[in-house]
Amino acid sequence: MASSFANKRLSKELIKMQEHVPPGISIVKSDSLEEWQMDIKVLDDNPIYKGHTFRLKFTFSKKYPIEPPEVQFIELPATSDTPRPIPMHPHIYSNGIICLDLLSNSGWSPVQTVESVCMSLQSMLTANTRDERPPGDSEFVAYNRRRIRDIPFVYEDDNV
Amino acid sequence: MNIQDFMALEADSSHDELIDLRSLDFVSSYDSHLMCPICHCPLIEPARLQCDHVFCQKCLRSAITTFRSADTDEFPCPSCRTPTSQISTSVPRLLINMCEEIQVRCPFATEGCQEVVPRGHIQSHVDKYCGYRLIPCPDEDCEKMSRKKDLQVEQRCMHSYCRCSRCEEDIMEQDYEVSNAPALFNLETILINCVSQEHDKELCPSLETTCVDCGTTIPQRNLKKHIETCPEVVSPCMASKYGCTAKIRRAEIATHEQSCPLVSIGPYFEAQNTRLNSLELKMRHLQQRNEIFEDGLSNIRSTLLESARATGGNRGGRSATENDRSQHGRVDDDESANSSNVFSSNATTYLLSLHESLREEVSQMSHALTDLDARASMTIMNECLRIKEDMAHTNAAVNSVRMQVQWLMNPRLHNGARAGGMRTNASTAGNDTTRSQLTSTSAPGPSNAAGPSLGPIRPRRPSDSGREGTKL
Repeated sequence: MASSFANKRLSKELIKMQEHVPPGISIVKSDSLEEWQMDIKVLDDNPIYKGHTFRLKFTFSKKYPIEPPEVQFIELPATSDTPRPIPMHPHIYSNGIICLDLLSNSGWSPVQTVESVCMSLQSMLTANTRDERPPGDSEFVAYNRRRIRDIPFVYEDDNV
Repeated sequence: MNIQDFMALEADSSHDELIDLRSLDFVSSYDSHLMCPICHCPLIEPARLQCDHVFCQKCLRSAITTFRSADTDEFPCPSCRTPTSQISTSVPRLLINMCEEIQVRCPFATEGCQEVVPRGHIQSHVDKYCGYRLIPCPDEDCEKMSRKKDLQVEQRCMHSYCRCSRCEEDIMEQDYEVSNAPALFNLETILINCVSQEHDKELCPSLETTCVDCGTTIPQRNLKKHIETCPEVVSPCMASKYGCTAKIRRAEIATHEQSCPLVSIGPYFEAQNTRLNSLELKMRHLQQRNEIFEDGLSNIRSTLLESARATGGNRGGRSATENDRSQHGRVDDDESANSSNVFSSNATTYLLSLHESLREEVSQMSHALTDLDARASMTIMNECLRIKEDMAHTNAAVNSVRMQVQWLMNPRLHNGARAGGMRTNASTAGNDTTRSQLTSTSAPGPSNAAGPSLGPIRPRRPSDSGREGTKL
């Protein structure tokens, strides 16, 4: 029953997003109710992200929306038809893992939707002015084997 | 009530035969404000928080279990994160009514129930009226489910098999029944004799039918496949979309298509079509660009207008001619404000006049500049002259002071000379030349330095003393 709750909620979200999605957001893959892929674009002229499209992967647990979905950027090589880099951002590791308190168990609220998460990430990119990775990016990317939800992020920076 | 009471309510409200209201199919669209933000369904048994946010009680409970902080008796509102400790289950009747009024499809729609009722009535519909509701078979040994309406009055198991008289296949008794379900009335069902039994109608594999075109008899289930390949089926020419009206049998269509002029010209049409499409696309693109440019132009015009007004206002009281012109310009402005058409025809002349006035202003400025330049150089000259005069005066004064110093020095020198003269020869003491020699040789420090520059010392006349005295 619990899984059907998540499925119901997701199919409702999907129907709504098929009718209308906010600008700069598009659904790439939503055939299963466990993993979706979305493309997002930054709408203003931020020189760091101009002309790029980024792909997000949402993985939903059976307890969605009570539990947050796992959200990360995924990379498609620049040689493919649809190149999808990992955006440069001081809170986004180069393997696509996003450090955003909204996506943590403590910061998540069941009121959030796939759409609202996409819009939050859009605005997080829009507001960014630093063309850099988080400190300790290379070690994190090399040694992290944990699942995203198990990583103890510290949300100390409220500026970005 | 506080959180504990609210969480305790859950046990009471758990019935077993309840329909899952969240999985209902909502027929009409409903206002998004009636939607629980957690489950995105119209609110079910809503509860209200202190911050006036409303959620389904069930959704709220699951949210509280997850987000309640362990040590306090509070939890953040899922919508606004306001710390909340009080929950009210009394929400406005209006809200409940609006949610209960939304039309839903019966959950047994897959079994054939066509009923659409308000959500508030769905429970009673399913409990009492729905004939398609699946209930366990009355036979205790049978584990299957039956539709309520299929159960006859005698309440016996309908899951026994009986034999179809045509295909000799075993069919479950309940499927052999008269079906009120909306059978898919496709070609197959029309072609066969209308038998009102579900198995007879659609499923019996031994049922045969006749192709209307070629007259062969084939099993009903193969009909669709047969129609696709039947050589006798009349089908339109390949070039029908270009206007060929020929409709002939499939067997002969190949020969027709070889001779049909429209088929041979087809590719040309195709190419033209694509060209037309691309041109249309380009046109639309250009139209859009044109609109953008026009917008930009009108923007520039309006800014020009504004700036012209501003300069017109500034130029106000400079000179009579300019004033006239700017007033003229202002009149122009007003006219153009009244009707933009007039302005658009006047725009060029207006711009030209603006240009002219600006040029005039620039020339006036340069005149003023040269004027200022001349005046400045004149004052500098005057100042210079005065300073020169002053310098001359000062020079004169310095000279007179020097002379006085000389005069003051003289008595000392004179005394010295007189002493020397008395030592050598007292008779020549009054001689001027001796005195001058003495000045140049035996005068002490300061007068010695000044001495040579003074040139020949003027002979001292008896009247000098009186004149110097009056001057000092």
